[in-house]
Amino acid sequence: MSMRFLLSFLALFIPAMLSAAPQTLVVYSGRSDKFVKPVIKAFTEQTGIQVKIHSGSSTALLNKLKLEGGKTSADLFISNDAGNLQKGSAMKLFAPVAGDIASVIPTNYRATDNSWIGLSARARVLVVNTKQHDTDFVNSVFDLADPRLKGKLAITHSANESYIAGVTVYMEKAGKEKATEWLKGMKVNVGDQVFNKHSKIVKAVASGKKSIGLVNHYYIYRHLAKDPKANLRIVLPDQGKQGMGVAWNVAGAAITKHSNNKQAAEKLMRFFVSKQGQQMFAKVNREYPTREGIAADKMIPAAGSYKIADVPMQVLGKQRNATLDVIESVGMP
Amino acid sequence: MATSSSIFWLQGFYARVSWRGFLALCVVLGAAIPLLFVLYNSSQLSLQQWGNLWTSRLPSLLWNTLSLSVLVAIGAFTLGVSAAWWVTRRDFIGKRIAIWLMVLPLTIPTYVFAHIYTSLLEESGWLGQLWQTLLGTDSYPPELFNIVGVTFILSLAGFSYVFLLVRDALSRSQQDLEEAARIQGATAAQVFWRVNLPMLRPAIAAGLALVVLHTLSDFGAVSMLRYQTFTLSIYLQMSGRFDYQSAAGLSMVLVSLSLTFMILERFFRNRQRYYGSGKSRRIEARPATLFETVMIWFWLGLIAIFAFILPLAWMLSWSWQAWVNQLIDAEFWGYVQNSLSVSFMAASVTVLAALPVALYHARTRSPLSQGYLHMASIGFVLPGPVIALGILAFVLDGVPFMYGGMAVLVLAMVIRFLPLAIQAQESAVQQLTPSIEQAARSLGASTWENLTRIILPMLKGGMASAWVLVFIDTLKELPATLILRPTGFDTLPVRIWIEASEEMLELAAPSALMLVIGTLPVLWFLMRSERTK
Repeated sequence: MSMRFLLSFLALFIPAMLSAAPQTLVVYSGRSDKFVKPVIKAFTEQTGIQVKIHSGSSTALLNKLKLEGGKTSADLFISNDAGNLQKGSAMKLFAPVAGDIASVIPTNYRATDNSWIGLSARARVLVVNTKQHDTDFVNSVFDLADPRLKGKLAITHSANESYIAGVTVYMEKAGKEKATEWLKGMKVNVGDQVFNKHSKIVKAVASGKKSIGLVNHYYIYRHLAKDPKANLRIVLPDQGKQGMGVAWNVAGAAITKHSNNKQAAEKLMRFFVSKQGQQMFAKVNREYPTREGIAADKMIPAAGSYKIADVPMQVLGKQRNATLDVIESVGMP
Repeated sequence: MATSSSIFWLQGFYARVSWRGFLALCVVLGAAIPLLFVLYNSSQLSLQQWGNLWTSRLPSLLWNTLSLSVLVAIGAFTLGVSAAWWVTRRDFIGKRIAIWLMVLPLTIPTYVFAHIYTSLLEESGWLGQLWQTLLGTDSYPPELFNIVGVTFILSLAGFSYVFLLVRDALSRSQQDLEEAARIQGATAAQVFWRVNLPMLRPAIAAGLALVVLHTLSDFGAVSMLRYQTFTLSIYLQMSGRFDYQSAAGLSMVLVSLSLTFMILERFFRNRQRYYGSGKSRRIEARPATLFETVMIWFWLGLIAIFAFILPLAWMLSWSWQAWVNQLIDAEFWGYVQNSLSVSFMAASVTVLAALPVALYHARTRSPLSQGYLHMASIGFVLPGPVIALGILAFVLDGVPFMYGGMAVLVLAMVIRFLPLAIQAQESAVQQLTPSIEQAARSLGASTWENLTRIILPMLKGGMASAWVLVFIDTLKELPATLILRPTGFDTLPVRIWIEASEEMLELAAPSALMLVIGTLPVLWFLMRSERTK
């Protein structure tokens, strides 16, 4: 390899190395590509606005936004967890959305200052194996700490955003002490073995390797859609008068404070909360659309048919560090 | 520390302001960016915060990280030394194929290994089904989400380094010592443990050092398998909690750990020197008996199946699915192109950047040049995410116009893989004695002519292997690329990461396969140049 060849090659690349300012809308997306791309495609077809998707994990992308500050190229941030959205709001990374866009979504599912909007909701539920009856006594998430479930319980690792959000809700409703005891009991029950994917929990329960798991509802139906005969059943925990209700979390979006394309960004946001956008955004993943009057997938339990824990989504961000402290003090894997 | 190093710098400047020294200084300063970030952020930690870190995290992290390193070292030693022994001591059918099979695992990144084996061991996976056929459906295939699983993955991904270095040393070892021992009545096993092994110690130490350093800084496999080492914990600390200071504090501990380890390794290597007389015979490989051939192929075949053949079959099978379902589109070829162009640029720039440092050290051999070498090896001891963050902070504050372009990504790769390039060039540089240059000078060559007509041609081999090593590692690089890539710029590892986290096997497989294919020509080049040496 001669020196001259190398140098001339480098010279070829130098123009590519300097950054060009793109005219398209840039979306940092922490949600699966396969759920985001169809919605974006429909938006581009309708408006002619080109969108560039930069995917990653919600948490990592929020970090990127924070570090970039005013130099970010992102116009929108999509997160699969309200905790990250509220956290970004607290760090003043987002610009409020126009009132007429936000007002379509119930106040419970968006930021107080409209700096982020929840677009689809997921319920934190239990999945059980229909053939095994050793878990029949479980009707609250707190029963998962029962020693009778030793070796039979499947949960995710504690860096999972949905898991953290769930623990936050339980801590809000039942108090720090009870939540700590609960985590300790679950830790004994799972040993060192936690799962890195919710879908694997559902698989393990379906095969009978585990008897019960704590997951987001759509993972159960995703499995059932592929294998309708799977031995799976959903259990909605903490119902009844005394029950705190099922924990909900939302995926949502925010317009970044330093976007220099706010008009187009608002157009996309408007599309997200439109009837068509809500249908697409929530339905591809069998989630609950946050806009009222839009039907969810028929497979999943109807939103009004069960009790939901009355914890506003903003709390998931505000209490996140407190939750992490508890999880770490217990040493959950 | 700051004052003593600045005194060194001053001394260096006044002693001899050479172009080499100056260029080397520039490169080293660039390489030190992430370290400055870590030093600054960890200096912001209060004593109480250090105390919290110490009590809450460090004991378990130290235990996890150290025990994993020891186990991976044992695993890589067993696989690498045994394989190297057989291919240098016996001639058997298909030996060249066997050697290739022992090197090919280098083309597969750790996170791909982790991903492939978790899906193979699922109940619906090939190994899972085999397991249940053999042991009944009541038994479940083993899980990888524990120290044994991580050891398994990292040993498979790393033993080739030990293999390459030990094979090289073994093929240079001499026969008389062994014969002398045999005459004195030593058994074959005694010869191995008491003669061969001590002689191989430097090569084994160097190979294991590489494996352990890779283990310490591995991000992909440990985060896929959720095994809390320093690197993973640092990443979680900064991304989950936006706590850059604690992350920097943990990085400081990791850096001290790695440095201690490197110094220890160098110390033990320096103390062990063996000299043979020039006349003594090289060991010649003996033709293997039929029984030996079967045994050798059984063992090497077993290693090859797990370390390369099975993963390759998995990639081919799922890539075929992707091909049939027409998932391989223009976007996919875009990822391939992105990966290749980043790797090409990074390898070229890194080799050029490493040159002045290696040259300067070869010439002066001063404490200063030694210090440069240590500084330049930062990329090896700091975890990828931390390097990326350090560069990000530097670029955003210092040269914001660069941000968002590919140059930042290339810079990160250069800093990460500079030590690799320097090491590879150092040996070539050592052959370049000052007298050659002086001769050229006396014949009227200018500095530039000296460089282009004497130095570079002599260094070509070293530079080429440095280029190859950096190219391969950049092609596989994940954590820094995840953080620093330009918007929407996906490389193959980034795609594998995204698809794997969404469990789209048929989409992750073609990318992994392209990584293997992309590495093959450069690996072939490396093996060829080694043979002609």
